[in-house]
Amino acid sequence: MRRSNFLPCLALLSTAWAAEPSFQVPAKPAALLQEYCLDCHEDGTEKGDIRLDNLAEIPLQARLDLMNRALEQVYLKQMPPKKKDQPSEEERNELGGWIWKELHTHNASKLEEKLRYPSYGNYIDHEKLFSGKIKEPAFTPARRWLVSPMIFDERVRDVFSLEGRERNMPLAGVTNPFILPDHSGVRDYDIGLLDGGSLLVMLSNAEWISTKQIRPARVKAGEIGANDFPDPKERWSPRLTPPEFENIIVKKTPPLDEEIRAAIVKQFALVLRRPPTEIEASKYFELTKSAIELAGNSEGVRQMLKAVLLESEFLYRQEWGAGNADQHGRKMLAPREAAYAISYAMGDKGPDAKLLEAADQGRLNTREDFLREVNRLLDDKSYYFGSIDPASNTSKVVSQTVSHPRIMRFFREFFGYPNAPKVFKDIERSQGVYANADRGTLGTSGFLVDEADKIVAWCVEKDQNVFETLLTTDQYFMFHNAESVKAPATIEKWRGVWEKLKDSEWRTDPEKVILANQEMLKSALGIVPGFENKPANHTNTLTRCMKHFEATFGKGATPFVTLPWAHGNTYWHSPIYNLPEPSGKGGQYTDPPLDFPIHQPFKIAHRKGILTHPAWLIAHSQNTETDPVRRGRWVREKLLAGRVPDVPITVDAVIPEDHHKTLRTRLDGVTLKQECWKCHEYMNPLGLPFEMYDDFGRFRKEEVLQHPENIIGKDGRWNKYKSLPIDTRGTLDSTGNPSLDGEVSDALDMIDRLAKAPRTRQSIIRHAFRFYMGRNEMLSDAQTIIDADNAYVKSNGSFRAVIVSLLTSDSFLYRK
Amino acid sequence: MNNRREFLRNAFLAMGGLSLPGMMPGLSATPLIGSSARPPMRFIFMHRGNGLFPKVLVPPTLGKEELDKEKQNLPYEVDLSKHSLPEWMSPLEAHKDHLTIVQGLSGKMCTTGHHSWCSSLGVYKANERLSSIKWATVDFELAKLFPSPMEHIELACFPTDGGNARGGLDGIAKGFSARGPQQPNYAFGGPGIAVDEIFKSVSADKNDQVRYQLERKVLEFAAGNQTELARHLAGIEKKKIGNYASSIDEIRERDRKIDQMADVVRKHVPKLESKYLSNDMDTYTRQVGHTEVLLSALISGLTNVVAFTVDELGHHYTGIPGIEGEKVNMHDIGHGKPVKNLSAEEIRKRTENHHMELMNRIVTRLKSVPEGDGTMFDNTMIFYFPDSGETHHSHGLEFPFVVMSGRNSKMNLGNRYIRLPYWGKEGHKTLGNFYTTLLNAYGNPIKHFGDLDPGLKFDQLGPIKEFLLA
Repeated sequence: MRRSNFLPCLALLSTAWAAEPSFQVPAKPAALLQEYCLDCHEDGTEKGDIRLDNLAEIPLQARLDLMNRALEQVYLKQMPPKKKDQPSEEERNELGGWIWKELHTHNASKLEEKLRYPSYGNYIDHEKLFSGKIKEPAFTPARRWLVSPMIFDERVRDVFSLEGRERNMPLAGVTNPFILPDHSGVRDYDIGLLDGGSLLVMLSNAEWISTKQIRPARVKAGEIGANDFPDPKERWSPRLTPPEFENIIVKKTPPLDEEIRAAIVKQFALVLRRPPTEIEASKYFELTKSAIELAGNSEGVRQMLKAVLLESEFLYRQEWGAGNADQHGRKMLAPREAAYAISYAMGDKGPDAKLLEAADQGRLNTREDFLREVNRLLDDKSYYFGSIDPASNTSKVVSQTVSHPRIMRFFREFFGYPNAPKVFKDIERSQGVYANADRGTLGTSGFLVDEADKIVAWCVEKDQNVFETLLTTDQYFMFHNAESVKAPATIEKWRGVWEKLKDSEWRTDPEKVILANQEMLKSALGIVPGFENKPANHTNTLTRCMKHFEATFGKGATPFVTLPWAHGNTYWHSPIYNLPEPSGKGGQYTDPPLDFPIHQPFKIAHRKGILTHPAWLIAHSQNTETDPVRRGRWVREKLLAGRVPDVPITVDAVIPEDHHKTLRTRLDGVTLKQECWKCHEYMNPLGLPFEMYDDFGRFRKEEVLQHPENIIGKDGRWNKYKSLPIDTRGTLDSTGNPSLDGEVSDALDMIDRLAKAPRTRQSIIRHAFRFYMGRNEMLSDAQTIIDADNAYVKSNGSFRAVIVSLLTSDSFLYRK
Repeated sequence: MNNRREFLRNAFLAMGGLSLPGMMPGLSATPLIGSSARPPMRFIFMHRGNGLFPKVLVPPTLGKEELDKEKQNLPYEVDLSKHSLPEWMSPLEAHKDHLTIVQGLSGKMCTTGHHSWCSSLGVYKANERLSSIKWATVDFELAKLFPSPMEHIELACFPTDGGNARGGLDGIAKGFSARGPQQPNYAFGGPGIAVDEIFKSVSADKNDQVRYQLERKVLEFAAGNQTELARHLAGIEKKKIGNYASSIDEIRERDRKIDQMADVVRKHVPKLESKYLSNDMDTYTRQVGHTEVLLSALISGLTNVVAFTVDELGHHYTGIPGIEGEKVNMHDIGHGKPVKNLSAEEIRKRTENHHMELMNRIVTRLKSVPEGDGTMFDNTMIFYFPDSGETHHSHGLEFPFVVMSGRNSKMNLGNRYIRLPYWGKEGHKTLGNFYTTLLNAYGNPIKHFGDLDPGLKFDQLGPIKEFLLA
């Protein structure tokens, strides 16, 4: 009908739109709107309460809002709906181009800004990106990039020129002004802005830092005593005040102009890593001089130190490019910028001496120079060496150290499993296995995150088929603490004790057995005569140890290397992996016992890679339930480079309660409705296969309906509930390989297929690009991304090869 | 020592600086006292450590039926005007008309036990790690609704045995409120430092005046630098610098407006005797000094919201009547250990009685300040509650609240003793429900404030409708 009436309708439209003289819809876009949009979005239909036939009649702001929404739909190919006729690429460009131009006339376009945000990373068409047809040379827009919290911390330490062990001292008066978002995915983007909050924090930081900077000189000048600290519990001080400041502070008369200038140059070098410009030097000179006149030498010079610390440049990385622009208008990073860019890609510290030397001596001007330095720094196992996540260290778990923690950070952010401790669980449902994060501990999830870290570190270290291994390995770490590393020797000693004494009188006359085997028992277990009579809570006694060995060695199993009664022992979470509880918890022994794997990693049944690791499953779960929607979204976005529209603001996304149905049934009940399914079809089929695990990450075949109505008895001290069988089927699509697409039986089947799909590999490469560039990819980055993908494939799956490729690409080298 | 004061002063500047000019309708050089402008509401959150036993709040004149319900934790309410108050609450007798006692709110989603950090005000499991601060605490949310030059002031009798980052008793340290995610607030440990910082703009001390000038000078310099830098930029790069520059300007503007209030502020600077400024002051004196600072800050119009950590489990109490010379370890009291001839319960009672004295001092003073067609107390709500629940090693099953409300309060609390349904029972309410009610009542439409309790198997979102005015 509409096609036959096309011309009259168009005329009508034009009449309507001509009502506002300043607003006209040109003929071509009007025809396209008519053809593809008005069926559903005109007076009388108004699907989604959207009308596009009266644009000229609505107020300007309302029209611009509507056009912004329309542009997003057209650009992202979300409209027309799949089942409707689709415009050609040219038609889409025509319509989108007109809307874009109209929005820009009013400086009102929001799409460009949105496309900079992490959640819009996948909105660049994947096929187009990897088509090889994009020939536009790559570059990164010239920019300031807000330093990460970790770089900020290093920069403050640089201000004090701290080295060695002193560099790791906590700086009690410094609060990090920044936080990174904690969603799964790349977190540190160049879109961060300094705001009022950062300023407030920096004001107090600048106060503390400047006070500490001049403290040694003030002590020397006799202004304060060496032990005079405002807070008796906070007594840290740098050992020296830089001589340029000290000269002024110890002086009894006003400083000479040269002394003031030297102090300014020094503070610029410490804080901004460059000399002041002439104008800056002059402005700072005036400030310092007048402050000294007002408050004396010490306080006066301190005001200057503070002012430099408040420069926004202290908080931004600068990447502008320098030299002559090439034929495409691109400039290569200036050598100093390059030194910092490379170093911050490798870690959080600024460049090492060799890198700065290369920059200053003209050896950081070519791609080959970048290649040389990147390889050198990747080979350097000490400069960036450090803890994977020092912020998560507790008395229970200390994050492991690696040569390049930032590489680990990519995978941690990508998978998002470190968020597990933030999910608060009802621990009773775990039958006492799970502990929430609390004072001084990250609870069970702290252990699980550390164990997931160990898998990632193990894969990164091997550096072969890294993505595929991370996704499909059946090798896991558990209870792999410092003692566990020494396990083989310890266990052999214990086994020796068991074998020698199992038929002795250890039950009836343990003291006699101890006296007869003193050397062996002391060496293996620290048991000495007398312990047996007055056993303290945490000491090894022969009876305790032999009972423990009987329940482990005696059953053909290996005991865990931390004995159950050891003080502070909190290794009890093996049931989360569906393994038996460690023997001896609360003095109880189970059969079969946990057979502790001395050599790790080791195989765990029903698991495949990080996505089936309890840390990932918990991080992507709700407080009391699993979270198939979020898990599905994760797979769609992270492994299939796909997109899921935002939840419409009118939707109250809640799964209804029904204590007699599985979560899947309840979820299907609401999301299979047509208006919901258009988004949920992208998530649910990819998330529901993970229903083979509960929300604590335990493998299951049935879903327990944990509600008082469903109690059917007791299992020990825990309630026993009714349960229903789990349906773990799902559907995989868009892998780029039709033989992999289709119904999957469970998460393990789906993961196997995903790991074989080039699209999965490419999707991870796209995220690696974002991590190392601090931004979303543009179409012009196509060659960089294809090169990184090729580097991975040709190197047999080396992530190092990906890093080298990215950090020597045009996207990394050039600014425009 | 000068440097220390300088540091502290500026740390405070950072604390109070979120009140931006556009958010300061209540801020003007004209005092609100006696003015016809609609006055803002004031909120005081007095919280204490070591738990508060629910049983001590029960009116002693309850009948058998109510007592039975009380013992069984069944819901009921009584008109407080028909009942006596427990003895320790006697200082509130004169203000009983404004009193509500709310029992039965739970907070199992909070960190409980020895130390709770921002938990009881934020309704999440806070701990010593900044990353545990999920969002702004309820007092800061209220401060956004009723902006003031300093936005919010926090006073604390700091713990010295854990519970906060460093534990200097008399200085400024991380407090128990939070400005936003991972943003702890800073609290004044002693009345002296609080006066120095809050009222520095009107200090008569020459050194203080010089430092005040220096602060202004550096801010002006920084503002000039950043504005100049932003002037040459465009698009997002302009925003990256422009936001920072305008934030500096906003602080300068705030300072300028505080300067304009100098006469009012000067009039209300607390005149503290030397004992309130001494480093050797006992806990009772410290609490009274803090109360005076709190009153001055509210009455002068510098803030509308105060959080007051009246004590914390790690604080070593001194000045308790009968054992004045003893340094009482509140952890021991939590474990029932007597001190000298006083039982732990008696010590609790005496300290809690003193808290009520402080509350009485606040209410009485605010009732003496004319405002609009009544007094400042008409526009005030005071909440007294434990930061860790029902006892020393609490499970967060109960957070008893003593609430004093002025007549313009928008919460429908009434002069009642209310016991809500117990944890897990139909109709049970949490701290999150209570704060949601408070926020909804004053204009923040948040659906639910705070984390949920996964142990509750029913809908636990939203306000307590009965507590909202119809």
